[in-house]
Amino acid sequence: MLGSILSQYARTLSVFAAFLLIVLVEVLGIREAIYPSLEAVFNWMNQSSWLGIIGTTYGSVYATVEAVHLLSMAVLGGTVLATDLRLLGILFKDIPSETLVTGTHKCFKWALLMAILTGIFCAAGVANKVYFMEVFWIKMLVLLVGSCFMLFIKQPFLTSRPHVEIDPWMMRLLAIASILTWFTVAATGRWIGFS
Amino acid sequence: MNDSSKWDDKTIAVVSTSAILLGALLYYWVGQGQSTVELLELAYGSFKFFNNPLVF
Repeated sequence: MLGSILSQYARTLSVFAAFLLIVLVEVLGIREAIYPSLEAVFNWMNQSSWLGIIGTTYGSVYATVEAVHLLSMAVLGGTVLATDLRLLGILFKDIPSETLVTGTHKCFKWALLMAILTGIFCAAGVANKVYFMEVFWIKMLVLLVGSCFMLFIKQPFLTSRPHVEIDPWMMRLLAIASILTWFTVAATGRWIGFS
Repeated sequence: MNDSSKWDDKTIAVVSTSAILLGALLYYWVGQGQSTVELLELAYGSFKFFNNPLVF
Protein backbone atom coordinates (compact mmCIF):
# COMPACT_ATOMS: atom_id res chain seq x y z
CA MET A 1 0.00 0.00 0.00
CA LEU A 2 2.70 2.48 1.09
CA GLY A 3 4.98 1.35 -1.72
CA SER A 4 2.20 1.89 -4.24
CA ILE A 5 1.55 5.44 -2.97
CA LEU A 6 5.30 6.19 -3.00
CA SER A 7 5.68 5.04 -6.60
CA GLN A 8 2.43 6.62 -7.77
CA TYR A 9 3.19 10.05 -6.27
CA ALA A 10 6.99 9.98 -6.36
CA ARG A 11 7.31 13.44 -7.99
CA THR A 12 4.89 15.12 -5.58
CA LEU A 13 6.55 13.53 -2.54
CA SER A 14 9.98 14.61 -3.82
CA VAL A 15 8.72 18.20 -4.12
CA PHE A 16 7.39 18.23 -0.56
CA ALA A 17 10.58 16.56 0.73
CA ALA A 18 12.69 19.25 -0.99
CA PHE A 19 10.62 22.12 0.44
CA LEU A 20 10.61 20.48 3.86
CA LEU A 21 14.40 20.20 3.67
CA ILE A 22 14.70 23.94 2.86
CA VAL A 23 12.42 24.82 5.81
CA LEU A 24 14.34 22.50 8.18
CA VAL A 25 17.72 23.93 7.11
CA GLU A 26 16.40 27.39 8.02
CA VAL A 27 14.41 26.53 11.17
CA LEU A 28 17.04 24.26 12.75
CA GLY A 29 19.76 26.86 12.20
CA ILE A 30 21.78 24.63 9.86
CA ARG A 31 22.28 27.50 7.39
CA GLU A 32 23.59 29.77 10.15
CA ALA A 33 25.93 27.02 11.34
CA ILE A 34 27.37 26.38 7.85
CA TYR A 35 27.59 30.03 6.71
CA PRO A 36 30.76 31.13 8.64
CA SER A 37 32.77 28.15 7.38
CA LEU A 38 32.00 29.12 3.77
CA GLU A 39 33.91 32.40 4.08
CA ALA A 40 37.24 30.57 3.73
CA VAL A 41 36.00 28.87 0.54
CA PHE A 42 34.90 32.20 -0.96
CA ASN A 43 38.21 33.85 -0.01
CA TRP A 44 40.07 30.95 -1.63
CA MET A 45 37.91 31.29 -4.76
CA ASN A 46 38.72 34.98 -4.99
CA GLN A 47 42.41 35.04 -4.03
CA SER A 48 43.87 31.59 -4.76
CA SER A 49 41.81 29.78 -7.41
CA TRP A 50 42.85 30.42 -11.05
CA LEU A 51 39.31 31.62 -11.80
CA GLY A 52 39.56 34.30 -9.14
CA ILE A 53 43.10 35.30 -10.11
CA ILE A 54 42.17 35.70 -13.80
CA GLY A 55 38.97 37.53 -12.86
CA THR A 56 40.68 40.00 -10.54
CA THR A 57 43.83 40.48 -12.70
CA TYR A 58 42.42 40.83 -16.22
CA GLY A 59 39.48 43.21 -16.31
CA SER A 60 38.94 42.62 -20.04
CA VAL A 61 38.57 38.84 -19.52
CA TYR A 62 36.12 39.44 -16.66
CA ALA A 63 34.08 41.87 -18.79
CA THR A 64 34.00 39.43 -21.74
CA VAL A 65 32.86 36.50 -19.59
CA GLU A 66 30.29 38.72 -17.87
CA ALA A 67 28.97 39.76 -21.31
CA VAL A 68 28.52 36.06 -22.21
CA HIS A 69 26.81 35.58 -18.82
CA LEU A 70 24.38 38.42 -19.53
CA LEU A 71 23.72 37.15 -23.07
CA SER A 72 23.03 33.66 -21.71
CA MET A 73 20.60 35.13 -19.18
CA ALA A 74 18.97 37.15 -21.98
CA VAL A 75 18.50 33.99 -24.11
CA LEU A 76 17.22 32.10 -21.04
CA GLY A 77 14.79 34.91 -20.22
CA GLY A 78 13.69 35.02 -23.87
CA THR A 79 12.83 31.32 -23.94
CA VAL A 80 10.97 31.61 -20.62
CA LEU A 81 9.00 34.67 -21.73
CA ALA A 82 8.18 33.20 -25.16
CA THR A 83 6.90 29.97 -23.60
CA ASP A 84 5.07 31.46 -20.62
CA LEU A 85 3.46 34.35 -22.49
CA ARG A 86 2.23 31.78 -25.05
CA LEU A 87 0.82 29.67 -22.20
CA LEU A 88 -0.93 32.81 -20.91
CA GLY A 89 -2.34 33.38 -24.42
CA ILE A 90 -0.65 36.78 -24.83
CA LEU A 91 2.03 36.13 -27.49
CA PHE A 92 2.52 33.79 -30.49
CA LYS A 93 -1.12 32.73 -30.53
CA ASP A 94 -0.68 31.40 -34.09
CA ILE A 95 1.94 28.85 -32.90
CA PRO A 96 0.74 25.74 -30.99
CA SER A 97 1.95 25.99 -27.37
CA GLU A 98 3.20 22.37 -27.52
CA THR A 99 5.52 23.32 -30.41
CA LEU A 100 6.87 26.34 -28.53
CA VAL A 101 7.36 24.41 -25.27
CA THR A 102 9.41 21.65 -26.92
CA GLY A 103 11.18 24.01 -29.33
CA THR A 104 12.49 26.46 -26.73
CA HIS A 105 13.53 23.89 -24.13
CA LYS A 106 16.80 22.85 -25.80
CA CYS A 107 17.75 26.52 -26.10
CA PHE A 108 16.81 27.04 -22.42
CA LYS A 109 19.06 24.16 -21.28
CA TRP A 110 22.10 25.45 -23.21
CA ALA A 111 21.50 29.02 -22.01
CA LEU A 112 21.20 27.79 -18.40
CA LEU A 113 24.43 25.79 -18.70
CA MET A 114 26.31 28.79 -20.15
CA ALA A 115 24.85 31.13 -17.52
CA ILE A 116 25.97 28.80 -14.69
CA LEU A 117 29.49 28.25 -16.09
CA THR A 118 30.12 31.96 -16.74
CA GLY A 119 28.37 32.81 -13.46
CA ILE A 120 30.88 30.72 -11.48
CA PHE A 121 33.73 32.70 -13.09
CA CYS A 122 31.99 36.04 -12.40
CA ALA A 123 31.28 35.05 -8.78
CA ALA A 124 34.90 33.93 -8.26
CA GLY A 125 36.13 37.39 -9.32
CA VAL A 126 34.07 39.09 -6.60
CA ALA A 127 33.69 36.14 -4.19
CA ASN A 128 34.96 38.05 -1.14
CA LYS A 129 32.22 40.66 -1.81
CA VAL A 130 29.22 38.48 -2.76
CA TYR A 131 29.71 36.22 0.26
CA PHE A 132 28.38 39.03 2.49
CA MET A 133 25.42 39.90 0.21
CA GLU A 134 22.05 38.45 1.20
CA VAL A 135 20.78 39.06 -2.33
CA PHE A 136 23.50 36.76 -3.76
CA TRP A 137 22.24 33.87 -1.64
CA ILE A 138 18.64 34.66 -2.58
CA LYS A 139 19.64 34.49 -6.25
CA MET A 140 21.42 31.15 -5.79
CA LEU A 141 18.43 29.66 -3.98
CA VAL A 142 15.91 30.89 -6.58
CA LEU A 143 18.21 29.78 -9.43
CA LEU A 144 18.46 26.28 -7.95
CA VAL A 145 14.73 26.01 -7.23
CA GLY A 146 13.82 27.56 -10.61
CA SER A 147 16.10 25.18 -12.55
CA CYS A 148 14.68 22.12 -10.74
CA PHE A 149 11.15 23.47 -11.28
CA MET A 150 11.79 23.94 -15.00
CA LEU A 151 13.63 20.65 -15.65
CA PHE A 152 11.78 18.22 -13.38
CA ILE A 153 8.30 19.70 -12.89
CA LYS A 154 7.19 22.14 -15.58
CA GLN A 155 8.66 20.60 -18.74
CA PRO A 156 7.69 16.96 -17.95
CA PHE A 157 4.15 18.16 -17.15
CA LEU A 158 3.76 20.25 -20.31
CA THR A 159 5.10 17.50 -22.58
CA SER A 160 3.01 14.75 -20.96
CA ARG A 161 -0.36 15.71 -22.47
CA PRO A 162 -2.05 17.96 -25.04
CA HIS A 163 -2.42 21.48 -23.60
CA VAL A 164 -6.17 21.60 -24.34
CA GLU A 165 -6.57 18.97 -21.59
CA ILE A 166 -4.93 21.24 -18.99
CA ASP A 167 -7.11 23.52 -16.89
CA PRO A 168 -6.53 27.14 -18.06
CA TRP A 169 -6.13 28.39 -14.47
CA MET A 170 -3.51 25.72 -13.82
CA MET A 171 -1.68 26.90 -16.95
CA ARG A 172 -1.84 30.54 -15.79
CA LEU A 173 -0.55 29.66 -12.32
CA LEU A 174 2.33 27.70 -13.85
CA ALA A 175 3.25 30.46 -16.31
CA ILE A 176 3.09 33.29 -13.72
CA ALA A 177 5.15 31.31 -11.18
CA SER A 178 7.74 30.59 -13.87
CA ILE A 179 7.94 34.25 -15.03
CA LEU A 180 8.24 35.51 -11.44
CA THR A 181 10.96 32.94 -10.66
CA TRP A 182 13.18 33.95 -13.60
CA PHE A 183 12.38 37.63 -13.08
CA THR A 184 13.71 37.22 -9.52
CA VAL A 185 16.88 35.51 -10.80
CA ALA A 186 17.47 38.36 -13.27
CA ALA A 187 16.57 41.15 -10.82
CA THR A 188 18.70 39.81 -7.97
CA GLY A 189 21.55 39.33 -10.45
CA ARG A 190 21.41 43.01 -11.38
CA TRP A 191 21.06 43.89 -7.70
CA ILE A 192 24.37 42.10 -7.04
CA GLY A 193 25.92 44.13 -9.87
CA PHE A 194 24.78 47.44 -8.39
CA SER A 195 25.60 46.59 -4.74
CA MET B 1 -11.09 12.78 -19.32
CA ASN B 2 -11.96 11.47 -15.88
CA ASP B 3 -11.09 13.04 -12.51
CA SER B 4 -8.61 10.33 -11.50
CA SER B 5 -6.38 11.01 -14.52
CA LYS B 6 -6.78 14.80 -14.11
CA TRP B 7 -5.04 14.91 -10.71
CA ASP B 8 -2.11 12.63 -11.33
CA ASP B 9 1.39 12.89 -9.84
CA LYS B 10 2.70 15.43 -12.37
CA THR B 11 -0.37 17.65 -11.98
CA ILE B 12 -0.23 17.74 -8.16
CA ALA B 13 3.53 18.40 -8.30
CA VAL B 14 3.17 21.25 -10.79
CA VAL B 15 0.26 22.94 -8.96
CA SER B 16 1.82 22.67 -5.49
CA THR B 17 5.28 23.83 -6.65
CA SER B 18 3.82 26.74 -8.62
CA ALA B 19 1.70 27.84 -5.65
CA ILE B 20 4.60 27.59 -3.16
CA LEU B 21 7.00 29.42 -5.52
CA LEU B 22 4.48 32.16 -6.30
CA GLY B 23 3.64 32.65 -2.61
CA ALA B 24 7.28 32.72 -1.50
CA LEU B 25 8.41 35.11 -4.24
CA LEU B 26 5.47 37.49 -3.75
CA TYR B 27 6.21 37.48 0.00
CA TYR B 28 9.87 38.31 -0.76
CA TRP B 29 9.13 41.17 -3.19
CA VAL B 30 6.36 42.69 -1.05
CA GLY B 31 8.80 42.59 1.89
CA GLN B 32 11.46 44.30 -0.21
CA GLY B 33 8.93 46.96 -1.26
CA GLN B 34 7.93 47.58 2.36
CA SER B 35 11.52 47.90 3.55
CA THR B 36 12.28 50.31 0.68
CA VAL B 37 9.33 52.51 1.66
CA GLU B 38 10.44 52.43 5.33
CA LEU B 39 13.98 53.38 4.31
CA LEU B 40 12.73 56.29 2.19
CA GLU B 41 10.49 57.48 5.03
CA LEU B 42 13.43 57.30 7.43
CA ALA B 43 15.64 59.24 5.03
CA TYR B 44 13.21 61.92 3.78
CA GLY B 45 10.37 61.91 6.34
CA SER B 46 7.76 60.75 3.85
CA PHE B 47 7.45 58.45 0.85
CA LYS B 48 7.06 60.02 -2.57
CA PHE B 49 7.33 58.27 -5.92
CA PHE B 50 9.96 60.76 -7.03
CA ASN B 51 11.70 60.95 -3.70
CA ASN B 52 14.68 62.90 -4.85
CA PRO B 53 16.17 65.12 -2.12
CA LEU B 54 16.97 67.72 -4.80
CA VAL B 55 13.28 68.02 -5.80
CA PHE B 56 11.10 69.90 -3.32
